[in-house]
Amino acid sequence: MDTRVELLKRFYNTMNPRMLKLEAEIYGFNFLDALAANDITLEYGQLSEKLIQKYKLLNLTEQHLNQFLQGHINKEYNVCQYFNQIANNIFCFNLDNNYKVNNTALIPETTLALKTLKQYLEEYALTPLVIASGRGYHTWCRLDTPVDNNQLFNFSIRIAAKVMASLHEQGYNYNKIKFSVYPNPRVVTRGSLRLFGSKHIKTKEFSYVYSSHGLLDETSSWKYFEKYLTSKIIAKDQFLQAHTAVLQEIQ
Amino acid sequence: MRNVTPFSGISSSITTTQQPFQHPKELFSIKTIAIDLDDTLNNFTETLQNTDFSYKNSYGISPEKFESYLSQAKQAAVIDTDLEITDFTHFCYQIHEQCYLLAKANTDGVRFMHWLKEHHWKIIICTHRDLRLSITPTKKWLKENDIPYDYLFSAINKIVFCKLWKIPYLIDDSIFNIEYGKKYGIQVYYPIMEKHSQLPADVGKGFHSFDEVKQWIHE
Repeated sequence: MDTRVELLKRFYNTMNPRMLKLEAEIYGFNFLDALAANDITLEYGQLSEKLIQKYKLLNLTEQHLNQFLQGHINKEYNVCQYFNQIANNIFCFNLDNNYKVNNTALIPETTLALKTLKQYLEEYALTPLVIASGRGYHTWCRLDTPVDNNQLFNFSIRIAAKVMASLHEQGYNYNKIKFSVYPNPRVVTRGSLRLFGSKHIKTKEFSYVYSSHGLLDETSSWKYFEKYLTSKIIAKDQFLQAHTAVLQEIQ
Repeated sequence: MRNVTPFSGISSSITTTQQPFQHPKELFSIKTIAIDLDDTLNNFTETLQNTDFSYKNSYGISPEKFESYLSQAKQAAVIDTDLEITDFTHFCYQIHEQCYLLAKANTDGVRFMHWLKEHHWKIIICTHRDLRLSITPTKKWLKENDIPYDYLFSAINKIVFCKLWKIPYLIDDSIFNIEYGKKYGIQVYYPIMEKHSQLPADVGKGFHSFDEVKQWIHE
């Protein structure tokens, strides 16, 4: 198996292995028949902008997942995964440009929100992994042990609120960005996130890691991703301390 | 036609291309049709306009804003904004989601769907709904109303979807789709409504009963 597939599986190991969303250019009924022949269920398909097809697939086996991840690494398509419905060892802040047009442009509000978000997380000794998503940033935190989704959400929604409040206080309009937190227990089966190692389906840009030195190239991004997994994982107790502190601050 | 990369994620024996479909079963029954949901198979707009929605804290807006937004949502108002997601779009989704479950199925349409199934049509439900958000109520409603289908798709532009997927027929009430279907070689049939009165005579084909469509797709 490609070591990068193993890395992805390790990083995202609490995500639901039985379902995923594929973002692809492939289409046609023979493709759907191929899925069915492999006992994969298409829950729904979606034709979005620029002829991009999205397929929510269910009933995957581990072998299917391995194969899809290999295709993702080969940049044949993108794989997006769904969070575990009960508990996860990762949570993510998804920051996007909220404009209808030209929405892959990096706007000041996104940059400032990311800077503030990182600052708040690091105040609690939570080191995030920031990945350029094509329309903004995915800011992941990886824990050593799964935590109940409600605790993850209660923490992350408050951090997001603090970031928005900070933007407002500095005279920026936070409505210009979309700020989503994952996992959200209310919609855990419908919100998926693109995995690291993808290329953005519209911009064709790789999902580069954003480090303190700026955006890394593709090779360095993979190295950083591996390094994060081996040396920057957050202890559950550290997270729980941060959770308690944030909930005391914002009731 | 564009050759598609072998789909390594599924089966090494499969190489998919955008050529005419080669599956033996399909050679005998290449009958594919796309059908819209809202205001075609159900009475979405009537439900939206006639339902008494009550204020709930979960809307996340004040009661005053609720009244104002509800009035605009019922008129299908479009707010002039550069932004993709706003308080209003979020509110509209919450109201629409309730309508997806409350809307009544068109019994004539349901019978037609069974007729299609019995006659071995491949049925694609093609909706403008954002299925990322509304898949659960959509599937629940289809099941409760015993509506058969093969695939469920969401498409921003249904004419492009039908063209790309080589679906020759679309049943849909949307004026945009009726007008553009002809230009792109998609035969669009629509349930006649007041909003269609200004349509040129040479686009689409309006019907009062789905039985009329049975005749047309058999011609």
